[in-house]
Amino acid sequence: MKNSVCNPFVTAQLQFDRTADWLGLDQSTRELLRVPLKEFHVLVPLRMDDGTVKVLQGYRVIHNDARGPAKGGIRFHPSETIDTIRALAMWMTWKCALMDIPLGGSSGGVACDPHDMRLREQERLCRNLVRALARNLGPWRDVPGPDIMTSAQHMLWMLDEYEALSGEKVPGSITGKPVGVGGSLGRKESTGYGIVFTLREALKELNVTPEDTTASVQGFGNVAQNAVRLFEQIGGKVTCVSCWDHHEATSYAYKKESGIDYEALAGITDRFGGIEKEKARLMGYEVLPGEAWLAQDVDILIPAAVENQLTEENVGAIRPRVKIIAEGANGPTTNEADKLIAGRGILVIPDILANAGGVTCSYFEQVQSNMNYYWEKDEVLGKLDVKMTSAFNTVLEFSRKKNLSMRDAAFIIAVARVVEACKDRGWV
Amino acid sequence: MSLQHAFKLFDRRFFTGAEKFTVIGRGSLGGKAHGLALMKDILEGQLAPSLRPEIEVAVPTLTVITTEFFELFMRQNDLFDVASSSARDDQVAIAFQRASLPPQLVGDLRALIEQVHTPLAVRSSSVLEDAMFEPFASVYATKMIPNNQVDADTRFRKLVEAVKFVYASTFFKDAKNYLQATVHTMNDEKMAVIIQEVVGVRHGQRFYPHISGVARSYNFYPLGLAKPAEGIVNLALGLGKTIVDDGVAWSYSPGYPQANPPYNSLDDLLAQAQREFWAVNMDLPLEYNPIKENEHIMKFSLQDAENDGILRFIASTYRAQDDKIVYGITESGPRVVDFAPILKFDLIPLNRLLKELLKLCEDTLQKMVEVEFAMTLDEGRGTPARFGFLQVRPMVVSEANVELSLAELMGKNVLAASESALGNGVLGSIQDVVYVKPEKFNVHHSEAVASELEGLNYPLVEEGRPYLLIGFGRWGTSDPQAGIPVNFGQICGAKVIIESALPETSTMLSQGSHFFHNITSFKVFYFSISPSDKYTIDWGWLNGQNAVHDTEFVRHVRLPAPLKIKVDGRTGRGVICHD
Repeated sequence: MKNSVCNPFVTAQLQFDRTADWLGLDQSTRELLRVPLKEFHVLVPLRMDDGTVKVLQGYRVIHNDARGPAKGGIRFHPSETIDTIRALAMWMTWKCALMDIPLGGSSGGVACDPHDMRLREQERLCRNLVRALARNLGPWRDVPGPDIMTSAQHMLWMLDEYEALSGEKVPGSITGKPVGVGGSLGRKESTGYGIVFTLREALKELNVTPEDTTASVQGFGNVAQNAVRLFEQIGGKVTCVSCWDHHEATSYAYKKESGIDYEALAGITDRFGGIEKEKARLMGYEVLPGEAWLAQDVDILIPAAVENQLTEENVGAIRPRVKIIAEGANGPTTNEADKLIAGRGILVIPDILANAGGVTCSYFEQVQSNMNYYWEKDEVLGKLDVKMTSAFNTVLEFSRKKNLSMRDAAFIIAVARVVEACKDRGWV
Repeated sequence: MSLQHAFKLFDRRFFTGAEKFTVIGRGSLGGKAHGLALMKDILEGQLAPSLRPEIEVAVPTLTVITTEFFELFMRQNDLFDVASSSARDDQVAIAFQRASLPPQLVGDLRALIEQVHTPLAVRSSSVLEDAMFEPFASVYATKMIPNNQVDADTRFRKLVEAVKFVYASTFFKDAKNYLQATVHTMNDEKMAVIIQEVVGVRHGQRFYPHISGVARSYNFYPLGLAKPAEGIVNLALGLGKTIVDDGVAWSYSPGYPQANPPYNSLDDLLAQAQREFWAVNMDLPLEYNPIKENEHIMKFSLQDAENDGILRFIASTYRAQDDKIVYGITESGPRVVDFAPILKFDLIPLNRLLKELLKLCEDTLQKMVEVEFAMTLDEGRGTPARFGFLQVRPMVVSEANVELSLAELMGKNVLAASESALGNGVLGSIQDVVYVKPEKFNVHHSEAVASELEGLNYPLVEEGRPYLLIGFGRWGTSDPQAGIPVNFGQICGAKVIIESALPETSTMLSQGSHFFHNITSFKVFYFSISPSDKYTIDWGWLNGQNAVHDTEFVRHVRLPAPLKIKVDGRTGRGVICHD
């Protein structure tokens, strides 16, 4: 693997190394946790509707499952790499540990672009992928869920294939399913809402009321949309969102100083989070280059798109007014950028904390699916809020006590819990 | 700065936080919470120290879910259609139960419930109560939950169900009817919710306050030595529902705490005395029913309270052989909840507290007031006692000056007259009379009568025709044997109400006590005519009028000319004359 600043696995390993140093971990423990426990590289032949066959590269990585069955998303992305998947699996291990839920970390993906695929082709891809991985999946082994460009429909196709292979109903083997077919109420909103729950606590800590704040958000997919919606409901104002324009293969930022109208903007957004540019312009939005989201004069930045968006090169564009960065995406900040941001006194809610609402609710879904008894939405979101708030406060308290950044505090708490599980099991 | 901004946001610590009065959200507190907020510091700062150590006075710990969440709840769940529809109350309640509370609220509720294991009262606190400075007493729901389940999920679910039930009650039929009698519409109404600890003590499967009370700073029925300005206090064992909904209480004037209520005889006193009390049921509910207000409260007998060791502080005993009441409960015999150890022997200075409290509330609100409270007593010695201040409401009283001589009550064309009339002023616009047929009335049919009355009330309210309502026994009683068990929403179009006793019944008239607040705030004239009165109702004249509706038990007549109605508030005299 290349030792590049843009390689998320390098970022993840550096984060781990720093944490391991702080914790004083022994060599064998470092060796165990610095790389995944298991990796599956599979070729997925896919017959297209025109009769041709594409052979796609798929991955499933289990970073560590000492604390429980592994849990992690499956993404379809044209530039998918094994290192991205490794990093995501590692972050998932830490995230589950930080949230104190009994799961390990995994991740998976296929290098493909679903924009270019018909629904029947996507269904075949899901089924073929499950056939390739099935022996190592299951509610007590490894539980996939949705991620970038995979939806509840994809999860249901995967579940259906898995159940056909296993000869029984196993709703707990996949999460992110549609409500009514084993899905959990609140799952769709959970990641976005989770970001805002932690953001709300951070604002309390800074003694700032949400009504007095504005935010700029990178991304307008499911996570970003729900974060924007709840942030507005608690009184905040979002003045800029950016998104990827699939047709033009570039990103744009949509700005309205008086505050975006979430409902109206969502109404002109496709299922992948792409906003219709001309319609937005007609609705009075200023259309700017995608990177403009970062340079807004706001109090809060929410990167909620993909990895490595805040880099050494662009963090200089962050305005002095910014007080909080809530990392909605996984690994949106490179290590170098992180150091620069820390030097500016911005409170960063690290990804493994801020966006942990998704995996927490996936865990709730698993619990419900395994019982085949489903909770009301109030119950799901009530538990989610308490879990997120409690995790935030634990991290904040530790960071204050040890004079650490929120990211370092979060990693130390999480890694220490995983190390403890590994040692208790006698692995190291 | 608005009042709600003076209070701390709920910090997810209910009992252990620095603040005992917190808010969730940025909306309005609603009337009930507003009243508590106004009084909280005054009570705890001015009143409480002088009563220590015998009584500890405070507003019980509470957090208010402001109206912001009510609006979000309605909008996010698209509930406006069902709320404004003609759906039955249970259909509205079920639709609300199916909806989800706003995501930014449920975390706070979950955190609250994870640390609280004692009963909670989930109370309505509507903005119109606040805006109108008018009472909406008993119009919206209050739900008590035992909150003692081991599992936090269950406790959370019960709390959420209770909040949704209170929200739904905003749109129940009675509430809609009630609002129609005002200048407001449903669109004006917004609901805050108070989550408050229940003042009480657990005794086995029961949790209840040892004393509940309603104290008013002005007495419209000053009997015996009592003077109107001394006010009136009603006390009962257990939850205040006994007083507010059942109309059963020990009444006394704070000027004469040792005097018994003005019953005609000891028999009457015994017949009307409290025999049961309401408590939160800490056991499994008899049925799972989230849309039932009384799901988690039950009635228990006085014997239960005696077994709990409580009656010795609040009861005396009827000695049959002497036909008299003897103090204490050392002898065997029927117990009488007369609060003698407190009112007659000053075990705790409750009366002094109430007098000072009423004055403080009057001074603060600059109006006559009604106060609700609950107390617990030390189970060993009675003191120290804990006094929980639950609510304060202003009383609305007419300022008009009407003089009515005795001769006018006996004059020509009198349809009805009374020397126990409530209200003050002159009315000359009523042409509709709804009356319970005297020849058909029987307490066994009182529930059917209530239903027929409700059916007639709605169209009259719709048409904007206020009416005179005449019936028998105690209006608004929960005991169908004692009168007609309506709630005010079912008869809210009545501008004048007459309650008449039938000669063969011994039931004391309510004299408006059930609807006291409703009738005073809407300036309803209330006439009580007992069998011993020299005044009667001219049934012959009424029966000779043309009926618009004639149902089995009720007749509705529309008169060619309006009635002339006068009430002299100072003397309590009232007369209704026809052309």
